[in-house]
Amino acid sequence: MLEFIRTRREDLIAGLVTVGIGIFILTESFGYRLGTLRSMGPGYFPMLLAVAMCALGLILILTATPDKPSDGAAQFADKRGVLLVAAAFLAFALMIERTGMVPAIGAAVFLSALANRTTSWLTALILAAATAGTCWLLFSVLLGLQLRAFG
Amino acid sequence: MELLSNLALGLSVAASAGGLLYCLLGVTLGTLVGVLPGIGTMATLAMLLPITFHVEPNFALIMLAGIYYGAAYGGSIASILLNLPGTATSAVTGIDGYPMARKGQAGVALFITAIASCFGSMFGVVLLSLFSVPLARVALQFGPQEYFALMFLGLIAAALIGSGRAIRALVAVALGLALGLVGLDINSGVARFAFGMPEFYDGLPLVAVAIGLFGLPEIIANAGRVIKSTVQTSDISMRSMLPDRSQWRRSWGPMWRGSAIGSFFGALPGTGGVVATFISYATEKKLSRTPDEFGKGAIEGVVAPEAANNAAVQSAFIPTMSLGIPGDPVMAIMLGVMMVHGILPGPSVITDSPDLFWGLVVSFVIGNIFLLILNLPLIGIWVRILAIPYHLLFPVIVAFVCIGIYSINYQVMDIFVLLAFGFLGWGMKALNFEVAPLLLGFVLGPMMEENFRRALVVSNGEVSTFLTRPIAGVIMTIALLIIAWFVLKGLRDLALRLRRRDTENTNA
Repeated sequence: MLEFIRTRREDLIAGLVTVGIGIFILTESFGYRLGTLRSMGPGYFPMLLAVAMCALGLILILTATPDKPSDGAAQFADKRGVLLVAAAFLAFALMIERTGMVPAIGAAVFLSALANRTTSWLTALILAAATAGTCWLLFSVLLGLQLRAFG
Repeated sequence: MELLSNLALGLSVAASAGGLLYCLLGVTLGTLVGVLPGIGTMATLAMLLPITFHVEPNFALIMLAGIYYGAAYGGSIASILLNLPGTATSAVTGIDGYPMARKGQAGVALFITAIASCFGSMFGVVLLSLFSVPLARVALQFGPQEYFALMFLGLIAAALIGSGRAIRALVAVALGLALGLVGLDINSGVARFAFGMPEFYDGLPLVAVAIGLFGLPEIIANAGRVIKSTVQTSDISMRSMLPDRSQWRRSWGPMWRGSAIGSFFGALPGTGGVVATFISYATEKKLSRTPDEFGKGAIEGVVAPEAANNAAVQSAFIPTMSLGIPGDPVMAIMLGVMMVHGILPGPSVITDSPDLFWGLVVSFVIGNIFLLILNLPLIGIWVRILAIPYHLLFPVIVAFVCIGIYSINYQVMDIFVLLAFGFLGWGMKALNFEVAPLLLGFVLGPMMEENFRRALVVSNGEVSTFLTRPIAGVIMTIALLIIAWFVLKGLRDLALRLRRRDTENTNA
């Protein structure tokens, strides 16, 4: 049994997550009026969907086959890339309404540039400054978007 | 005659100064992102959306479409020269294109690719101009049953055809439909799955969702990579590019067959270029008298998928424009842009704004001629662009994506949605789920629910209404047959596996 679970981890996780989401939608959909087939309330379609998801999840679990070594796994190993690219978008989201576009873009470009190991701090800084300047020219001056450049 | 006057109207839009400019801009940018591995069509569309808001809708669509089919051309360049497909649809081209390049025939492969691409595109454009109007006319008679049936078929086709993991694809579709529920229910005004956040009352933002799912995992996956360029630019001269007579003769048939296969799968909502390239490649291999050559540089293996890919790109506009049903994620974004400009997608678009539709059709022809010029005499430029260091390019892409997403609604929440869907797309890839069916479900979800509910109101709660109306019935039957086929196939596989295990046990 343990061996069964260990070798089929991928299908089992996928199935469990699917059933979990299905149950979540199901409980949530009971919070809305269900209605009848003739006149459906807001809860009817979500309920049908939730039942379908639970069924699909169960099929995934029941038909679980042993994991194949997937080539997809290799590209997920790069933690630095994931964290810094995510940080870049977060920085933009947190800064854009407080500091304006130019600093927000600068921060996003700087952080994401560091996601690649071969990029030095100085290169990242220069790239950030150049991109922020170009964006200011293109979006504020040329296209006139409703974006404050600073503060 | 009606067609001629329509084409004349289209020409007046597409051949105007603005039309030509945005068409050229679109196909050039499209080729550029197609050439560069690691930047997909979706991310480019997101980057350029803010520009299109300032342009007339006709020209905005001409440019966005140009990016789409331009990328289909450019994708094959990296695929042939580096065996690194620039776009998903050009992966098959590399199977024989790269061996051709290694045999010193890179020029010929690039040349015949451009010709096949143009041929396929024109094939698709002809079908688009012939079938869209009649189809839209029929679609004007459609009731909610027909619409629901069509979308159901589209989702089933997207999940089951050409996908190695049918159940997973169905899960992705269902998850997409569920995410489409977020927001105010139009009939009752109840906010569903919004968790008290007014930003979500209009539903999750389509572009942020799409770029999160497709663009972000792509950027993350390539962020740490260092590409060493190994292209020799010197050996691609105009003379070395011309195929000899036997190569021309071998390309003729695959071009027609590829175009036909591509047009079919492109027009079928849910499937598209990727499926079409694989099927046309398999077809050529089966028809060939020398199937052993495939994979070692057979010119048929380059021509057929390229023709198919480009024909599919053009014919994808048939259901999008005449029914308002997007067949793939890019088409969904195109419909989103139309809505931003106040155009409601559906069968009435062609009759209500003929300048938009026919302008787009004629711009395809012009754009493909531009692309021939960009891809034949100017091929050297693109080859050199392959040498741009990616690690300096992607931070700039991050910046443009940020501004692109933010400037749609000026809501910070959209960036968080982008990030959340980036992680979702990433997690799904880790568990071997495809994200395309999810996005299709997400886009079609609200339309499907509305038509489902309306159909049942009209029929007084009779579920059989989807099967008894002739058109809806035929479409539903096709969808059910596809399901039945897959259930039978699944059961057969299961039986085979059980029998194999039994024999193993008796042997042991």
